[in-house]
Amino acid sequence: MTTTTLPPAPAGALPYDDSEMPLALVQAKTRRFVLRVIWTSSAFLVIAGILGLLLRLRQGEVITLGDNFWYAIMTAHGLGAFVAWAGFFLMGITFWVLMKVGFPLRSFVLPEVMYWSMVLGVVGIVLTTLLAGFAGSWVFLYPLPFFSAGQWSDTVTGVFAFSVLLAGVSILAYCAAVLHTTISPALKATKDTLGQRIALAFGFGLLFPSRFKTTRGKEPYPVLPFAVNAVDMFLATLPFALLLVFEIIQSTGRGFSINVLLAGNLLWAFGHPVVYLLLFPAAATYYYLIPRYAGRELVAGKAVAVAWLIALTMNLFVWAHHLYMNYPDGQNVQQSLGTIMQPTTYALVLPSALSLYSIAATIWRSNFQWNVASKFLVAGIVSWLVAGLQGVINATAAFQETLHNTLWIVGHFHNMAFLNMGLLIFGAMYAFLPELMGKPWWNERLGSWHLWGTIIGAYGWVTCQMIQGLEGAPRRWAVLPDQYLTLTHVSLGFLALLVAAQLVFAYNLWTTLRKSPFDDPSAVQVRGGTQA
Amino acid sequence: MMTSLGRGIATGYLIFVALGLIIAFGVLWSTKAGRRDKGQGVDIERAERAEPWWGVFVVVLLAILLGLTIWRAPWFSEDDSPKDVQVKVTGMQFGFLVQPTTVRVGQHVEFNVASKDVNHAMGLYNPEGQMIMNVEAVPGYTTSRSYLFTEPGSYTIRCLEFCGYQHHKMIYPAFQVTA
Repeated sequence: MTTTTLPPAPAGALPYDDSEMPLALVQAKTRRFVLRVIWTSSAFLVIAGILGLLLRLRQGEVITLGDNFWYAIMTAHGLGAFVAWAGFFLMGITFWVLMKVGFPLRSFVLPEVMYWSMVLGVVGIVLTTLLAGFAGSWVFLYPLPFFSAGQWSDTVTGVFAFSVLLAGVSILAYCAAVLHTTISPALKATKDTLGQRIALAFGFGLLFPSRFKTTRGKEPYPVLPFAVNAVDMFLATLPFALLLVFEIIQSTGRGFSINVLLAGNLLWAFGHPVVYLLLFPAAATYYYLIPRYAGRELVAGKAVAVAWLIALTMNLFVWAHHLYMNYPDGQNVQQSLGTIMQPTTYALVLPSALSLYSIAATIWRSNFQWNVASKFLVAGIVSWLVAGLQGVINATAAFQETLHNTLWIVGHFHNMAFLNMGLLIFGAMYAFLPELMGKPWWNERLGSWHLWGTIIGAYGWVTCQMIQGLEGAPRRWAVLPDQYLTLTHVSLGFLALLVAAQLVFAYNLWTTLRKSPFDDPSAVQVRGGTQA
Repeated sequence: MMTSLGRGIATGYLIFVALGLIIAFGVLWSTKAGRRDKGQGVDIERAERAEPWWGVFVVVLLAILLGLTIWRAPWFSEDDSPKDVQVKVTGMQFGFLVQPTTVRVGQHVEFNVASKDVNHAMGLYNPEGQMIMNVEAVPGYTTSRSYLFTEPGSYTIRCLEFCGYQHHKMIYPAFQVTA
């Protein structure tokens, strides 16, 4: 096994290489910014992880918590783990990957807005949930925020909605920064017009190379998911922001209210695409890292470009699958939306299926370099497949009578968010931190323990939840019916293993941070590993 | 205990996961050969040409699944035929109002589900603890769902849409189905 040092791009094998690096100053500023996001999002993971553990310990009747406090923790955990950790980390790492493929940040204003609005938003969410008792869940389904049964005030609802709006501002700033970075001179369009740049950034150069030319030869594949995600999240965040503004106005007591079905649609118009705020940057990072370890260019043709164009359009027309079970009498529009959005949701399988094919073909019979980073990435890719299959099941309206609002759904999104994107995040940390910090990982063997403890612990835990869900265990219950207690206790054993694995990781990281920087990352002896 | 639909979902899921893992293992195992020939023993262009066909294969599989299932969506499952009895279920923080509370085996029952405050959902569990029905209660609207009872006993209604700090206590413990 080799060390976690990221292998260099093989000369001539990739359409881009490190010779396209920007000025040293931009590189240094980007490094500092990305590291700041990594440390901040990791701190959010620690908080969100502890909160998640408390939730399950209460369900297992190991500890006692007040009912509303349990639901407040649930609210903070959901937003913290999904947006403040995974989403925020991937937003930050985006700029490092883009720079590595020759698309340096052209301005640091938008990234700074992204950073600070997310931090302030998270602080507001923590205060309104854990201290002020807001416990509407991370989707705070309207009109619940205004029916607290005496547990929190409308003012708290307004502050909470404003805090979430700040996180939304962070996402909008991120989208703008990505578009500003990708639709740029770095595309090296032969005819450098805005139209040509836009077409190239969204893959038309791969589809029609004679019409949309670039002197780069071939545009880097990671640019595609980043650009698609930026457009989709920009469009998806706006209706959600509108809902939040409505709720802030209502919280001031002006007698304002919204139709419940409309509010549900506005919520999920953002609530589903936000999954891709994580998945698409994750796909881009796989596109960048896997070819490095495989020692060859990503195996992809025009089909991948078509798939990302499908993602660009369909991603905005899938929200109603979250509302399959909302089919009130006489509401034919809602029922029609459900009918239409089952096939549009299925269409979103294509970017994943074709990406998995490309990645598998890239690894196939390659001289693949196995180390902790690449193993985390491969485990994340396998989880992408597994969670994707669950996604197809969830997209099928006929199955919702059995699955809707059960622990199956909770198991599924932890499978997707933690075991796909989460493993990618750890893989990216093992791959990128040596060059970001200027020092190697202290102990490779501890990285392997982290890997296997995380995989076994997390899969054991989510599998228990999925079985419970198939048996009808309701989601978002502080105290589950007795019939589900045994599997909850089993899952706690797996969670203990998962926590232990993260402590190993934290120890390895802490020790690494205390070591001196190295000068030559390619010639470092790493404890527990072999020489690079 | 799973319902027959739950067992079917689990079986189909496990079959596809097993197939996926076999393929993934094969891909990873192939890197052993790749190490011997330094990754040169692959026709990359052929792999790229095959990618659209993989896409077509996935589309065909999904089209089959769509054709088999879309007609079973809950909103297509209801017909306009008269039901034997109407049961009104009204959710409110934190309980259900159910009228009437008893029906007979063999009766085709239509549940009219509504809410007085926030979103709730009616999860109906049979005496074996299996969830046999799941209907959202949307404030300001009524949602109708019918069920033919074939088994006597005491059924439980649980709220399945998060509705506040006593959500897990929102249970109607004894909807009776008599022989």
